[in-house]
Amino acid sequence: MLTPELLAKAKSHGFSDRQIASLTGCSEDEVRAERHRLGLLPAYRLVDTCAAEFAAFTPYYYSSYDRGDDEVTPSDRRKVMILGGGPNRIGQGIEFDYCCVHAAFALKEDDFETIMVNSNPETVSTDYDTSDRLYFEPLTLEDVLHIYHREKCWGAIAQFGGQTPLNLALGLQANGVNIIGTSPQSIEMAEDRKLFAAMLNKLGIAQPANGTATNEAEALEIARGLGYPVLVRPSFVLGGRAMQIVYSDAELQHYMRFAVEASRKRPVLVDKFLEDAIEVDVDCIADVGNFDNPEDGTIVVGGMLEHIEFAGVHSGDAAMVLPPHTLSDRTIQTIREHTHAMTRELRVSGLMNVQYAVKDEVVYVLEVNPRASRTVPFVSKAIGVPLAKLAAKVMAGRTLKELGFTGEVRRNYWAVKESVFPFNRFPGQDIVLTPEMRSTGEVMGIDADLGIAYAKSQMAAGSPLPLSGRLFISVSDAHKPHVGEVARLFADLGFRIVSTSGTAEVLMQAGLEVETVFKLQEGRPNALDLLKNREIQLVINTPSGQVPRADEVKIRSTAVLTGTPIMTTLGGARAAALGIAALKKSGYDVKPLQAFHGEHP
Amino acid sequence: MPRRTDIHSVLIIGAGPIVIGQACEFDYSGTQACKALKEEGYRVVLVNSNPATIMTDPEFADCTYIEPITPDCVEKIIAREVAQLEASGERGKLVLLPTLGGQTALNTAMKLDQNGVLQRYGVEMIGAKADAIMRGEDRQVFKDLMLEIGLDVPVSGTAHSLEEAREVAEKIGRFPVIIRPAFTLGGTGGGTAYNREEFEELARRGIDLSPVNEILVEESLLGWKEFEMEVMRDRKDNCVIICSIENFDPMGVHTGDSITVAPAQTLTDKEYQIMRDASFAVIRAVGVETGGSNIQFAVNPDNGRMAIIEMNPRVSRSSALASKATGFPIAKIAAKLAVGYTLDEIPNDITRETPASFEPTIDYVVTKIPRFAFEKFSQADPTLTTQMKSVGEAMAIGRTFKESLQKCLRSLEIGRFGLGGDGKPMRVGTELYPDRGELPKDLIRRKLTVPNADRIFYLRHALRQGMSVEEIFQITKIDRWFLTQLRQLVDLEEELATAG
Repeated sequence: MLTPELLAKAKSHGFSDRQIASLTGCSEDEVRAERHRLGLLPAYRLVDTCAAEFAAFTPYYYSSYDRGDDEVTPSDRRKVMILGGGPNRIGQGIEFDYCCVHAAFALKEDDFETIMVNSNPETVSTDYDTSDRLYFEPLTLEDVLHIYHREKCWGAIAQFGGQTPLNLALGLQANGVNIIGTSPQSIEMAEDRKLFAAMLNKLGIAQPANGTATNEAEALEIARGLGYPVLVRPSFVLGGRAMQIVYSDAELQHYMRFAVEASRKRPVLVDKFLEDAIEVDVDCIADVGNFDNPEDGTIVVGGMLEHIEFAGVHSGDAAMVLPPHTLSDRTIQTIREHTHAMTRELRVSGLMNVQYAVKDEVVYVLEVNPRASRTVPFVSKAIGVPLAKLAAKVMAGRTLKELGFTGEVRRNYWAVKESVFPFNRFPGQDIVLTPEMRSTGEVMGIDADLGIAYAKSQMAAGSPLPLSGRLFISVSDAHKPHVGEVARLFADLGFRIVSTSGTAEVLMQAGLEVETVFKLQEGRPNALDLLKNREIQLVINTPSGQVPRADEVKIRSTAVLTGTPIMTTLGGARAAALGIAALKKSGYDVKPLQAFHGEHP
Repeated sequence: MPRRTDIHSVLIIGAGPIVIGQACEFDYSGTQACKALKEEGYRVVLVNSNPATIMTDPEFADCTYIEPITPDCVEKIIAREVAQLEASGERGKLVLLPTLGGQTALNTAMKLDQNGVLQRYGVEMIGAKADAIMRGEDRQVFKDLMLEIGLDVPVSGTAHSLEEAREVAEKIGRFPVIIRPAFTLGGTGGGTAYNREEFEELARRGIDLSPVNEILVEESLLGWKEFEMEVMRDRKDNCVIICSIENFDPMGVHTGDSITVAPAQTLTDKEYQIMRDASFAVIRAVGVETGGSNIQFAVNPDNGRMAIIEMNPRVSRSSALASKATGFPIAKIAAKLAVGYTLDEIPNDITRETPASFEPTIDYVVTKIPRFAFEKFSQADPTLTTQMKSVGEAMAIGRTFKESLQKCLRSLEIGRFGLGGDGKPMRVGTELYPDRGELPKDLIRRKLTVPNADRIFYLRHALRQGMSVEEIFQITKIDRWFLTQLRQLVDLEEELATAG
C-alpha cells in the first residue's frame, strides 16, 4: 500500500507522478490529487552561487522534495509563463529559443512579470537575465502545473517553444491554465486531418489529394487511388520524422511494416506528392483572435520564402529565398489571400506558418501551423521587424494597429537561408535531402544581388562555391532532360565538365565538351579517385530514386568528407551557377544588418 | 584596475551555424558578452552568419554583420570598421575578442593573426593572445608544456602523415589508441582504434579533416574517470574555480555525449584540491591572460594517477553548463575581464554583495544528459566515442543526485519520465520489451560494454535483473558511487511496485 511516507520518499528520489502511477497501478491525476491532499508539493530553491550564505536578488529557481524551505519571493504583478523548447534536437532548435527570449523581452516591456520554464542549459532563455523569474525545470505537465499555480500566473505562452509546449497545451488547459494567444483548439484543428480538410473546403483552398490509413491494406488502397508517388508520414510530428516519398506498392509496404507503427489512434497520412512543384513557406502575424469579429483584426504577411529545391525536401532542410525569386505576381497574390483566409478562420492571435506547393500556377496548401515556426528569426532579420516580439504582445492583448505594424515590408535586397548538416559526423550516411529533416543549423546570406546572397550563404555554410575548375555531374534519368541546360551554365562560366557515361552522353548530345570518367565498378581512376585527389572542385549529383545505388552514396559522402561542395538537386545547381557568375563579375562586399535596414550604425 | 580607455570598438566573432559540437551555448555566451561590453560603453561589432541567434538581433550590437565567418570575410569587416573609425575622428581602437564564439571564432582569429591581417590593421586580440591560444590548442605544444610544469599527460605524439602516425602507435605499444585531429570542433574525425585496420582508417580521416593536417595519437585512458574544471583568471593573476564537473561515463565517451554531474561527486577533498591547484597551474602556464578556460582531467580508478587531457582557452559548452549550474555568468565576466577589470572589481549580480572573485558554492546536484538523433541517421554507427554525436542536452537540478538524475531524464523528452517504471516499453531492433520485463542477459551485457545513448536504461535493467554493482563496474568502469545511487532507485522502484 502506498503510504504517505513512501510517496514522500519517492518524490524526494525524483520519481515523477507518471512513474508512481504506472508502478502502483493508478492514474497520474490520482497521484497528483493524493499529493495535493497530503500537501506534498515541491519547494522552490534558489540558485544563488553561495549556498544561501548571502541573500540572492535574481530569482533563479529549481524544485526539490527534500521538504526544505521554499524561497520564492512573493509578488502580485500580472505574470505570464513562457514555456521553452527543452533540449535541442533536429527539428527543434535555437529558433524556438529565439522566440521564447523575445516573448520575455516583449512582455517585460508591457509590464508583465515574465516566468521562463526550460530545461536546456545551452540557451539564452535560461540566462537569469532574460526573464524576471527563471525556473530550471523539466517541461512536463506535472512540473509546469506546479510552477503555474505556485506563481499564480495570469497566462502561459505555449506556441513559441516548438512542439514540446504544444504537446502540453491541452493538458495544461484542462488543469486550469490560461493558454494565451491562438487557442489550443485552433492549433488542434490545423493538425487534425478531417477538421483541416473541412476548413480548406469551406474556404475553397486546394490541398494535395490525400487519405488517412490505420494499416497497410488501407494505405495501399489509398495510394493506388491517388496514384504514385505519394508522401507518407505519421500524424503529429515535428521535423518530418519518418516522412517519406513512396513510388511503388513495394516501397509503401516496406514503410508500413518497418518505418511506422500505425494504429487507429496514430494513423498514417498519405498525400499525393506533387513532383517538381515549387514550395513556399509563409510566416504571418495576426491579432484576429483578439476580436469578437475576426474582420476587425489585422493580418500581416511577415515574409514569403521560396524554396530553392523542388518539393519533397523538408522545409527545415531546404535553401530558401526571401522574397520569392521566380513566382508570378498572381501566385504571390493567391498565397497572400489564402494565408489571410486561413488566419481569419483559425482566429489566430500571434504567429502562423503555412507551407504551400505551387504547380502549374495552382497553389496547394501542404501544412498550416498556427504557432511560431523555425523561420521566424530569419524572416524577422530579413525584414527588420521583430515578429516574435510583436506576436507576444498581441497574445497578451495588444493589437497590431496599436503596435504600428499593419503592412507588409518590402526590401530592396535578397536574403537566402541555407541549412547545415551533420553528415561529416556520420561517415557512410547518405546526404541526399529528403522530407525528413536532418539539418542542425542554418545560415543567412544577404545582399542586393541574389547571386551574391546565395554565394554568401554557401560560404557561411562551410562550402564556398569554386570560381573555376572541374565540375563532376551525374544525374538520375528523371533529371537528364534538364541536365544539359544546367551544365551549360557552368561551361559558360569556364568549368571543365567531367561525367560518367550515362550523363556524359546526354551532355555531348547537347553539344557540350565532356571528359568521361569511369563509374566505380568500371575501372580506375574513377570518379571517387578524382574526388579524393581533390581534382574535382564541384559536384552535382542527384539521387536515382528511393533506394539510391551504393556508388552514388559513396560519391556523395566522399564529397562531404573531402569538403568538396556538392549539389544534390538541380535547383541547388542553378543557384550555384548564379552565385558563381555574380562572384566572378564583382566579388562580394560586407554590410551590417543595420545598414540593410536603413539605419547608419 | 579600471576598464581600458584605449578601446573604442570590440569585434566579437560568433560561432556560425548550429552544428554538432557547437550549438546555441555560443549564442548564450555571445549575447552576454555583447550586453556586458555595451554596458561598459564600447561600440560592439558582431559577425555571425547564424540568423536564428539572439545575439544577431540588431539591438544587441551596434553593428551586426550577418556575414560568413571566414578569414577573408572578417578581413573585409575589419577593413570597413577601421576605415569608419578613422573617418569618425573618435578616439580609441578596434580590438578583437575571439574567445566567445567557440572553435569557429578561435580558428578564424588565429588565421587572421597568422596571415598578418590583425597586424596590418593594428587590431589587438583581447581575452587570449595568439600565442596562448596556440599553446592551448596545439596538442603537442600543450603536452610538452604540461610535462614542463610537472603535470602528467597520456603518452602520445603528433603526426602529419600515416607514416608518422604508425611510429607514434609503435611508441605507445598497445591498442586501443585514441586519434584526435588538431583544430576540429567537438573532436570531428577523432575516435578510438582497437586494431590496426581501424587505426589506419581513423588516422587517415583525422589528418584529412584537420585544417592543419595534424592528428594526435594518444595512449588510451579508456575506463579512467573524467573530470572538468571551469577556471577563470584576470590580469592581476587572480584565479578562481567556477565549477567542477564529473563525467558519469568514464573516458572514451566525448564529454558532450556523457552524462555529467556538477559538482564532482566522487573526489576526496584532497583530490579536489590537487585538481584545483593543477587547474591554476595550467591556465597560468598556457598564459590565458583573462577569461575562462575549461580543463579536462582523467583519473585512473585503480591507482589515482591523474592526467591532464586537454584545455580549451575559451568559453565552451561546459562553461555554459557551469554558468547555469552555479548562477555565475562566465561569458559576461570573461568579457569584463578582457577589457581590463579584475575579478575583485566585478560584483556578483545574484548576491550584489560578493565580488566575482568568490568561488561559487553549491548546495545541490546538477545533472546534464545529452540528447541524440540516431533515428535520423539510420546508416550511422550509434556507438558513443570520442567524437561527439549528440545534438542537444537537458539539465536538471535536485538536492540529491537521484533527484536530479530522474528530473533530467524526464527533461529529455524521449518519452521517459524517469529512470524506469514509467510504463514505456524499450525498443531494441524489432523487439519490444515491456518496461518491467526481462531483457536477455547477453543483450544487457553488450549494451553495457559498448557505450550508447540508452546505456543509462540498460544499467537499470542490469540492476533489476540481479547484476551486482561490482559486476557492472568491472564492465563499464562507471564509478561504484553512481551505480549505488542507481541501485537505490531500482530498489525504491520495486518497493513502489510492491506497494501498488
